[in-house]
Amino acid sequence: MELHILEHSLKVASIAKEGIQICTHGLIKLAFLPSKTRCKFFSLTETPEDYTIIVDEDGFKELPESEYLSVADATWLALNVVSGGGSATSSQPIGVTKIAKSVIAPLADHNISVFMLSTYQTDFILVRERDLPMVMHTLSSEFTLLRVVNGETVAANSTGVTNGFVKPKLVPRPIIHPLSSPSNMFCVTSLDPDTLPSVATLLMDVMFYSGGAKETGGQSEDSGHIRFFSFSLIEGYISLVMDEQTTQRFPNNVLFTSASGELWKMVRIGGQPLGFDECGIVAQISEPLATADIPAYYISTFKFDHALVPEENIQSVIGALRTNESTGQ
Amino acid sequence: MSSGYKPDILWSPHHADRYVICDTELSLYRIGPAGSSETKAGALPLSEETAATLLAINSDTPYMKCVAWYPKQEPECLLAVGQANGRVVLTSLGQSHNSKCKELVGKELVPKHARQCNTLAWNPGDSNWLAAGLDKHRADFSVLIWDISSKFSPEAVPAEKVRLSGDVDSGLVVTKPLYELGQNDACLSLCWLPRDHQKLLLAGMHRNLAIFDLRNTSQKTFVNTKAIQGVTVDPHFQDRVASFFEGQVAIWDLRKFEKPVFTLTEQPKPLTKVAWCPTRMGLLATLTRDSNIIRLYDMQHTPMPFGDEVEPTIIERSVQPCSESIISSFAWHPSAQNRMVVVSPNRVMNDFTVFERISLAWSSTTALMWACGRHLYECTEDAGQGVAAAEKDIATKMRERAQSHYGHDTVQVWRNHVLAGGDDPQLRSLWYTLHYILHCSAAALQETIGPFKAYSVKVILECTTETRRCWSGSDRQTDVPWYHSEERSLALQLCGWISRGPDIDVEPFLKSLEQEGEWERAAAVALFNLDIRRAIQILNKGASAEKGDLNLNVVAMALSGYTDEKNSLWREMCSSLRLQLKKPYLCVMFAFLTSEPGAYDAVLYESRVAVRDRVAFACMFLNDAQLPRYIDKLANEMKEAGNLEGILLTGLTKDGVDLMESYVDQTGDVQTASFCMLKGSPGEVLKDPRVQCWIENYRNLLDAWRFWHKRAEFDIHRSKLDSSSKPLAQVFVSCNFCGKSISYSCSAMPHQGRGFSQYGVSGSPTKSKVTSCPGCRKPLPRCALCLMNMGTPVSSCPGTGKADEKADLTRDKKLAQFNNWFTWCHNCRHGGHAGHMLSWFRDHSECPVSACTCKCMQLDTTGNLVPSDSV
Repeated sequence: MELHILEHSLKVASIAKEGIQICTHGLIKLAFLPSKTRCKFFSLTETPEDYTIIVDEDGFKELPESEYLSVADATWLALNVVSGGGSATSSQPIGVTKIAKSVIAPLADHNISVFMLSTYQTDFILVRERDLPMVMHTLSSEFTLLRVVNGETVAANSTGVTNGFVKPKLVPRPIIHPLSSPSNMFCVTSLDPDTLPSVATLLMDVMFYSGGAKETGGQSEDSGHIRFFSFSLIEGYISLVMDEQTTQRFPNNVLFTSASGELWKMVRIGGQPLGFDECGIVAQISEPLATADIPAYYISTFKFDHALVPEENIQSVIGALRTNESTGQ
Repeated sequence: MSSGYKPDILWSPHHADRYVICDTELSLYRIGPAGSSETKAGALPLSEETAATLLAINSDTPYMKCVAWYPKQEPECLLAVGQANGRVVLTSLGQSHNSKCKELVGKELVPKHARQCNTLAWNPGDSNWLAAGLDKHRADFSVLIWDISSKFSPEAVPAEKVRLSGDVDSGLVVTKPLYELGQNDACLSLCWLPRDHQKLLLAGMHRNLAIFDLRNTSQKTFVNTKAIQGVTVDPHFQDRVASFFEGQVAIWDLRKFEKPVFTLTEQPKPLTKVAWCPTRMGLLATLTRDSNIIRLYDMQHTPMPFGDEVEPTIIERSVQPCSESIISSFAWHPSAQNRMVVVSPNRVMNDFTVFERISLAWSSTTALMWACGRHLYECTEDAGQGVAAAEKDIATKMRERAQSHYGHDTVQVWRNHVLAGGDDPQLRSLWYTLHYILHCSAAALQETIGPFKAYSVKVILECTTETRRCWSGSDRQTDVPWYHSEERSLALQLCGWISRGPDIDVEPFLKSLEQEGEWERAAAVALFNLDIRRAIQILNKGASAEKGDLNLNVVAMALSGYTDEKNSLWREMCSSLRLQLKKPYLCVMFAFLTSEPGAYDAVLYESRVAVRDRVAFACMFLNDAQLPRYIDKLANEMKEAGNLEGILLTGLTKDGVDLMESYVDQTGDVQTASFCMLKGSPGEVLKDPRVQCWIENYRNLLDAWRFWHKRAEFDIHRSKLDSSSKPLAQVFVSCNFCGKSISYSCSAMPHQGRGFSQYGVSGSPTKSKVTSCPGCRKPLPRCALCLMNMGTPVSSCPGTGKADEKADLTRDKKLAQFNNWFTWCHNCRHGGHAGHMLSWFRDHSECPVSACTCKCMQLDTTGNLVPSDSV
């Protein structure tokens, strides 16, 4: 297995809902006009609380300074696991589940805080730049570490940092944050970048005017529903997460849909904003899922974490997590 | 990103006149000669000769990303189209739908998770297999290999799962691929390896080129590289692969897959297409974005694989198929040589043939070949058109001369010019000069006069004692000063006027000239020797000879009227009319008679007169001040002109090498130069790098002509004259212990042939006592039979005793020499004295060493030969 340390230096920011107007220019540029910026990594996730932006340094310049914009002070690096071989059988669990035991748990054991971003194409594990030596030390036994430098992949050596790290105690990880599961179902999809211009206005509507639509429509006052939309454009690949209702608004054949048409339900983690320093949250969720062989997507936002699991598995997921919760208490 | 589709172009694999343009729809064109009855009115002109007719349009498949043409003959026009959502649709163009086609057309191959299909490739062996390369998906594979003949089974997918995929057009949708490869990775390009149809080369997203074998998909060969945007295998060299990335093309050798064999010079703009020419070995065409030129890389002569230190030889050039317009894509014609069709973004098409560079090659035997494309033209010298021998190429001449033993006559050196064909006055002069020089030096050796071989007129002439002589044949006395000295007469000898001896007697020379029919020259020589009567006699003889020129009688008449009165009519008329004489010797005769004593420029600078005659004349009539000046001047002139006659003046000295250098520069005749310099020249001249260069070149030339025997003869000839050129020993016997040659201690000696005497091969066996290695003092191996160390002389062999007695003395001696030689079996490595071994194997077939069963003698082809002494 290879672990690629990507070259993007990432910022994680939050834009308050009421301040979104002042940022739209920059966001539209980042999302729909990639040739106009040098940004290679852009992700926007809308939650009921705020908009979470993950963007590289080139893209960050497009955003205005504002009181509505709060930025996590650390610089983040994205890690990407590459399976390397084609040996995997098709029934292998996908997404975060796959890397839960090999990456996320060891990082949690070493008290390294991670920020997850799953996309249609792959999973990115964001770690703080200052934690990188520790990360490399932790993962060097499992993975071939490769660092991307100016587009070239080179071997990364964790030199001189092998000493001085405390061997962690392996403790059971109880789930400590409250969980909730909204009633709407989600679709993880993508589209051909060539067709992006044709749906740009629709996407802008979904991204920025959802609040208004919600008020007028009224039907989303339903307490079980959650407003959640994620758009990312990373190295030329588009990934979208939206609820089933929103997909109906897109023309046929634009969104990539799987042959089986799978849908996902959300598990939302956290009652209070989680902050960036606590570690082990992703591990708490993903480990039980991995044990149960349930595929999952995991999207961290500025305040809360979100896991997506197949709709038919939601009950067993809740069950599994609740058991973990109880053992923790 | 631009949403507009740029047209791409595809040739039909089987119909050389059809191609498809694909942008938002598929259009099938037929290409034909322009203006022929076959082409309709609506044909689009592609070039001056060709036009294309639109046969069919298919717009059933939107969002096309890539297209691949079914490789088999039937069904003829089946295309696989890869779409933006990852589906692969089989479609057809302009065909009368036959049954097989109908079954396949419309079939959809749907991946589990939708994403863009980047590339498609039909398996060249099993044409039911279609490989599709897709973008990455976190949970799916990027390479799917579909079997287009597989039947859809609706039970495989639960009905409620098909909600989102709009069509439930059962029977035509295939969702289960045959193979899935490359998880969590995008595939940007792929191709099947033509060498092994089970193998697939993938260019992936994570900067990998990987080779998968479908028989064992868990193993792959891969290499990290940026160059992953497109891979294509050279159809002529199935281990050679080109892949590209942005502006850079990397060429790989699959046998050495660790790193690219080389990369081509980077283009400023990203590449859009890279394609090997299917009709021409090692020709790669590349196209960059928004460009109107196609760059061609010819690596036909690039060795594969080559060493690290060798710079690859790639010839790069570019072609501009359509003058202004930007090229959107191009495609090589599958069979027409170097032909391609290019298409511009607005679908203007152009038929274009890349002109092959023409390469020329001379054979070593003057034939000229040139190649253009697949055609080879040979041009041979046309000897029928009255090409005179003099006009022949120097290489042809040298070849002929080499065959006629030119240069090898060391006794009658002058004869070499006859061997050379006898028609070149310069060579004639040269070999006569060398002949005289060698003669004189041989004489000088006896009389110990001058330094050996340094003979040349220039060297000889220093100062002379003055003597005067009168006209001998005329009745009147004259005042012509006539110089004589020992050196001058030596110079005359070199000129060939007189032979060796104290007296100046030109009569033998005149006789030989008469024999050869050189009447004018003989008369002039006689006249210069102040024998006007003899001159007249010669001219008369010439006139009366067979085919003689009657005009000579007239000349003789004029000559007989000679008067030394300064203001006579004769003198006046002669000096003006002589210029109209065509023959140079007649001309100089009158010039001599009419000029003032000491002012003979008209004779001395008459270039049509042989140098040797002019020099001889100068030796007789110029005083000590004039003579060296004249000789110097003439020598420099000769040197500059590269005239071999000048060797008379320079001899085979450094000056002679200079002269020869300019001769070789002009003619390229290294043969004459080599032989000449070997022939007479002192050691220092032979060491001159120029001389060595001529000799080496001549040897190479002989090799090139495959004149192995001539080359051997030349080498022998050379080593006789130049002992330093003898080759060194090339075979040594080395010591078992220190590995040094056991004859190495004598390698410093000039005569290498002595090596074997060290260990007992010399004529007298008692003398040699060397039984140990001269390098490490360890003993030499023992003879398996007599158990003595090698190097001890052989004792009389019991088996050969009788034969030895009978043998005569010389033969006995020779045998004794050979009997002492080392011999050993190359198989079992046992051996001993040659004599002992021979006698052993006369009665035995196995090795003399006990327990060794090697049949040494039978392993050798000469083992069947009966040794001569037993006959």
